[in-house]
Amino acid sequence: MNVRVLMLAAALGGLVAPAVARAQTERLAGRLDDRTRAAVTALVDSARAAGLPADPLVNKALEGASKGADGGRIAAAVRALAGDLARTRAALGRSATEAELVAGAAALRAGATPAFLERLRGGYPREPLVVPLAVMADLVARGVPADTAARSVLALVRAGMREAELVAFRQSVERDVALGAPAGAAAAVRVNAAERDFGISATGQQPPSAPPRPRKP
Amino acid sequence: MHGTPDDHLISRIAAELRRPVPLRPDFDARVMAAVRRDIPSLPVRAWTWLREPRVVAMSPLGGLAMAAGLAGLLVVGAVSREPIADSRKPIADSREPIADSRKPIADGREPIAAASVTFLLSAPQARSVALAGDFNDWDAARVLMRREASGLWTVDVPLTPGRYRYVFVVDGRRFVADPAAPRAAGDDFGTPTSVVTVGGGALRAAGGSL
Repeated sequence: MNVRVLMLAAALGGLVAPAVARAQTERLAGRLDDRTRAAVTALVDSARAAGLPADPLVNKALEGASKGADGGRIAAAVRALAGDLARTRAALGRSATEAELVAGAAALRAGATPAFLERLRGGYPREPLVVPLAVMADLVARGVPADTAARSVLALVRAGMREAELVAFRQSVERDVALGAPAGAAAAVRVNAAERDFGISATGQQPPSAPPRPRKP
Repeated sequence: MHGTPDDHLISRIAAELRRPVPLRPDFDARVMAAVRRDIPSLPVRAWTWLREPRVVAMSPLGGLAMAAGLAGLLVVGAVSREPIADSRKPIADSREPIADSRKPIADGREPIAAASVTFLLSAPQARSVALAGDFNDWDAARVLMRREASGLWTVDVPLTPGRYRYVFVVDGRRFVADPAAPRAAGDDFGTPTSVVTVGGGALRAAGGSL
């Protein structure tokens, strides 16, 4: 690629980026009063300058507008989400996708620690982490203590569970809770059962006394 | 005039060369037919012309003008881009049957791959139910749900992998969380919100260590 092509690409990027940014904030037009819109736009611009995705912040503002929240509350929610996104990116790295940042921010909001996100990313630097992060947050929403939910997800991912299996695990815990089981205990029991199925112990080692069971399809 | 022996030889060669060569009468026709056979067809000639590399000279000013034109096209595309499922009319008309087994939905909420997600709400008394969420700018007017005879309201929405927050809007004013889906942690605006997660990859069994 020669210098002229690079210059052309840079010029195009420089011309297009402001237009995309304008299109994103124009979604707020007619949905927020002028003062709130200005506050949210400033927050979005600031986040974008820091390399954070703008769409989730705009969505948060639109959610507030749709629900009739006042401007101060909307701006506070957008600011809080920007902070969560920044913490998530610090934990997951600059290569994290927008979907991963959104799911990670939800996990943090649910009570996950940045260390949990770092361990997840460290173990799977190239795998999409949206579902594991979402399952962690969903378990907490169902009443599983945050540290138990985080440990469960780490153990299951380490054991080799795929996305569909993680979702099925969450559904199993939900059913147990609906039937009256304590949420934390339900998660622990289900993790133990999954580890038996997958032939991996909680420490990530093969159990010496039992041969590994075949994986579920 | 008497020439040298060489002159005689040259004269004889020249006379021999001047003597007409006997040709078959159809010789010219056969030659022309062979020439016509070697001319490639029009599509082949056009394809060859298109594939031949060419050097295009452009002034810096022309390059900038072309870049500005391309940027303008991109800007128009970006500005006119509408969010998913926003076609300025309800998408409920195009929904497919809920029991369509080709749709990979688990628990009615979480497809394994990016695909159409079916949203359901049982509300027999409702006069209208709409869907508002991260996927449609939280604008309930954009995704109206369709009522089944049983009082079940449904709609299919195409979603790319990610985690989305949403609520049902009943009768245009009441926000209702999805009773069958996880709740979003920490509601910011005082009304419960549901979440749907769309997966797009598959964590492999081996290769990771935590």
